[in-house]
Amino acid sequence: MAEVQQNNGGGKGKGHQKKMTIRVDFTPMVDMNMLLITFFMLCTTMIKSQTLTIALPSNEKVQNEENMSQASADDAVTIILDAKRKTGSFDVDTVNGKVQPIIYYYFGKPGGDAGILGPGGTVLSENNNIQESQFLANDEKSGRARGIREIIQQRNKDVLTEINKLKEKYANGGFGSLETKDGREKAQMAYDEAASKIRKDENLKKPVIIIKSTPQASFGSLVSVLDEMQINSISKYQIDNMTKADSLMVIDYQNRHHK
Amino acid sequence: MGRVKIARKSTFIDMTAMSDVTVLLLTFFMLTSTFLQKEPTTVITPPSVSTEKVQETNFVQVLLSPEGKVWLTMNNDTSSNWSNEKMKMALLDKVSEIYNESHKNKISFTPEQKYTFSKVGSFGVPLNQLGEFLDLASQQEGQTRMDEWLAGEDENPNHVTGIPISWNSDESKPNEFQMWMKAMRQTENSNLADKIKDGTGVAIKADQNTSFDIVHMVMDNLQTIHMNKFTLLTALKGAEE
Repeated sequence: MAEVQQNNGGGKGKGHQKKMTIRVDFTPMVDMNMLLITFFMLCTTMIKSQTLTIALPSNEKVQNEENMSQASADDAVTIILDAKRKTGSFDVDTVNGKVQPIIYYYFGKPGGDAGILGPGGTVLSENNNIQESQFLANDEKSGRARGIREIIQQRNKDVLTEINKLKEKYANGGFGSLETKDGREKAQMAYDEAASKIRKDENLKKPVIIIKSTPQASFGSLVSVLDEMQINSISKYQIDNMTKADSLMVIDYQNRHHK
Repeated sequence: MGRVKIARKSTFIDMTAMSDVTVLLLTFFMLTSTFLQKEPTTVITPPSVSTEKVQETNFVQVLLSPEGKVWLTMNNDTSSNWSNEKMKMALLDKVSEIYNESHKNKISFTPEQKYTFSKVGSFGVPLNQLGEFLDLASQQEGQTRMDEWLAGEDENPNHVTGIPISWNSDESKPNEFQMWMKAMRQTENSNLADKIKDGTGVAIKADQNTSFDIVHMVMDNLQTIHMNKFTLLTALKGAEE
């Protein structure tokens, strides 16, 4: 291939035909190309990062909505993100050396109906309704939800049973055949629409989740908790600031349990 | 005993075919590659189950370092008239306009400075130092010195990196971060403004170990200027529900 045969003269004067072969060595060319390919391969970003869309109310509206969230105290679940700190200990994750994320949650109002603050600004420990949990994946063997996911799923039972019915229907071809690619897309769209209808259904009992965080919590915990919202089909959640009652409850809990 | 004659064969391997293949591969990589943007800080985004892909064009990336520094990147529509260079120059005009409304020490930029600004990827120095920052480009090893400034490895203690940001819920007195974000909405690129409105146009990129407080401050700043929807950049988590 990389040879050129030269034919000079055609053997007119002399009796012999003189053949000359020119060979071009392509090895350096290949070497150089390989280097360039390596360069481009290392410099490209093939994997695009994923995004998580969140919508928050504008700052002015937050004040008006405070009344609203109080009205539905029955459904309210407050999740407080934190990092694990035991007084006097240096407890870090043994795997990556990071501070362990930890979460607290309580239902309804802080401290129940009686409130956390007693007369004269004392903290009433017996009213503290805060509980501790963690971000845990489903149990590998049984597939059961664990940690905070289990708590959320219990509160959102009504919606999840409906969603599971839809999933079954989808798997059985209830939204259209899953045989072809086109059919799958159509079925997926129909499923998404039905699922979003269920999530917004006013007749079903749904929790309102309020996400709060101590300054020690990490951004990773926030994304984890937003993930849980998505996994458990929670339609109503908001990110809010810690109130005084929240902080008092967390400190009180830590004083009693993290020694 | 007859000697076994070993025929001498040439070891020349024809590399032409190999060369063809490598050139093809090279062409493929050259055409498909989008270069990694150089960023002032390296962050590891938190894993999430979300599978939504990040926008390619028309978005503003807010990069947050664990120490709470903020840098911005503006990505425009390259297909239409709104080229990145043109829009960045317009952005600089807009932001100085907004800044001059509320500050006594007016700022303005020379055409050279604007040109330099249109070429930088991530930016983020206080507005009163931006002129000095952009002047570096014409000096020796300007690019390296600009990168060093942005990464906070500058020798000059007066050089501040990161856009000044603070808790602020008063829309009439925006801080510099809010000025930049407001200016982003006001350039001619209406696609970007639309994307910002529907939430896909603002992407917050932060490390998984960044304190929540810092991220919350940025979110609160955006909420104040009525950018209530935005996206968080995440990495894909392994299959799980």
